[in-house]
Amino acid sequence: MKQDFPIFSRLVNGKPLVYLDNAATTQKPSCVIDAMSEFYSVSNANVHRAVHTLAGEATEGYEKCRKLLKQRYNAEYAVITSGTTEAINLVAHAWGKHNLSSGDVIVLTEMEHHSDIVPWQMLAEKSAIEIRYVPVTDGKLDMDAFEVALEGAKLVCVVHTSNVLGVRNPVEDIITLSKAVGAKVLLDAAQAVPHELIDFRELGADFMAFSAHKMCGPTGIGALLISNDAFTEMEPFMGGGDMIDTVTLEGSTYQTNEHKFEAGTPRIAEGVGWAAALEWISNVDLESHHTRLLSIASDVAEQLRNRGMAVYSSLGPGDAAVVSFNHPTIHPEDFARLLDAQGVAVRTGHHCAQPLMDKLGVSGTIRASFYLYNDASDAEVFLSGVDRVLEAMA
Amino acid sequence: MSWPVAIQELIEEFQDIDEQFERLEVLMEFSEEVEELPVESWNNHNLVKGCQSIAHIEIEMVEGKVWMKAAADAKMVQGLQGILSIAVNGSTPEEVLELTPEFAEEAGILNSLTPSRSNGFRTMFDMVQRNVREAM
Repeated sequence: MKQDFPIFSRLVNGKPLVYLDNAATTQKPSCVIDAMSEFYSVSNANVHRAVHTLAGEATEGYEKCRKLLKQRYNAEYAVITSGTTEAINLVAHAWGKHNLSSGDVIVLTEMEHHSDIVPWQMLAEKSAIEIRYVPVTDGKLDMDAFEVALEGAKLVCVVHTSNVLGVRNPVEDIITLSKAVGAKVLLDAAQAVPHELIDFRELGADFMAFSAHKMCGPTGIGALLISNDAFTEMEPFMGGGDMIDTVTLEGSTYQTNEHKFEAGTPRIAEGVGWAAALEWISNVDLESHHTRLLSIASDVAEQLRNRGMAVYSSLGPGDAAVVSFNHPTIHPEDFARLLDAQGVAVRTGHHCAQPLMDKLGVSGTIRASFYLYNDASDAEVFLSGVDRVLEAMA
Repeated sequence: MSWPVAIQELIEEFQDIDEQFERLEVLMEFSEEVEELPVESWNNHNLVKGCQSIAHIEIEMVEGKVWMKAAADAKMVQGLQGILSIAVNGSTPEEVLELTPEFAEEAGILNSLTPSRSNGFRTMFDMVQRNVREAM
């Protein structure tokens, strides 16, 4: 598959690139790069309003992205956003502000990315809303504590698959339990959609946020899928062009579809690029790749443990192929820089999940995350790179 | 550009290295040049802000010459501090203020490190000059 990705023809520090920072962002296949380039070369225009040919092509290209999203994930509504973060903030403003008030409860978990913590803290500060955090025990959500926390909850926001540990949370149970108490459910699926095909309507969540760039699409674009019920409870958040029906000096009326949440000129080329990525990935057997990558990641985790590393990812069935680890004495940044010198890209730091780092009792980890184009030879290069680091730092 | 002898030697040492891994290994060896700032002396005043890892730098004036004490948790930051020590220790404040961080670029140290670390070096360099200016 690497031949579909032009970036793998380059060298990094004189060595072939082994890219293992996929949980941060994925590489782009030629078809995505070409689609965006062709859009700017051939069809560039603004969407929705003008009657000329280019505007028609631009609108068609951009709206194809929404159509593919709705089809692939079986969703009633797909609002196109700048990414997962904006999608979650949109729920906080467009739904939270109008449906939550003083004394209401939002349930979050200690495993959340900052983008699924901070928007709720900001909302809670203004409206005296209570936030409850479900604890993480041994790298997994404490589901007994979750049930206790649900008492009186109006909204539950859970990361589907953790960006730090790769662990897939029992979202089906979480949704069933939440619905039983009448709570709406938001899934942060940024790390989930790259690894599994989700049927949004069947799963039964109310909101699902994710980003294009973690599934071989462009940066700067993502989506919020919304259930029919939740959509009727939302009010526009940003005002401007494209989201209105009529505007007079006395007041305005808004569009009734997703456009009412998409004020201003949208990310047109990115939409075209994401549509190309969605078509490309629809020909990929995610399930078999997932099994293959999880097996590679499990082997890597075992090899790291054998070399004295602490591995925090449990890599159970359904988890993403993410190996978060630390060496007892080598600083993660030194480790990652010495791997980079050998062409191997990994991530270090708190991965935008400081509460989870506190829980693990570390300030950061080294994270190797695998994706579709990675193979066993990447794992070999990574491990021999690790050995060279250990030798150099001995 | 002409540099003081110690810095010129340092530039040449790095320029002789072809492989990035070896360059980083040599950089880490420079950690030995650092006069360590003991943990009990770490405070907010000598904390290097904007550095991804924990780093502290303190400047002392001894008989009119600049002396630097430093500490960091990452070995490569310690190495950068070692290089800074070579550049400033025993110099007059005026000499230190005349220095520019480009010598690290010329040595290929900045190019070989990612922006956050380069900024870390620049941040440390700026902090040294600021402290020297305050001490004058």
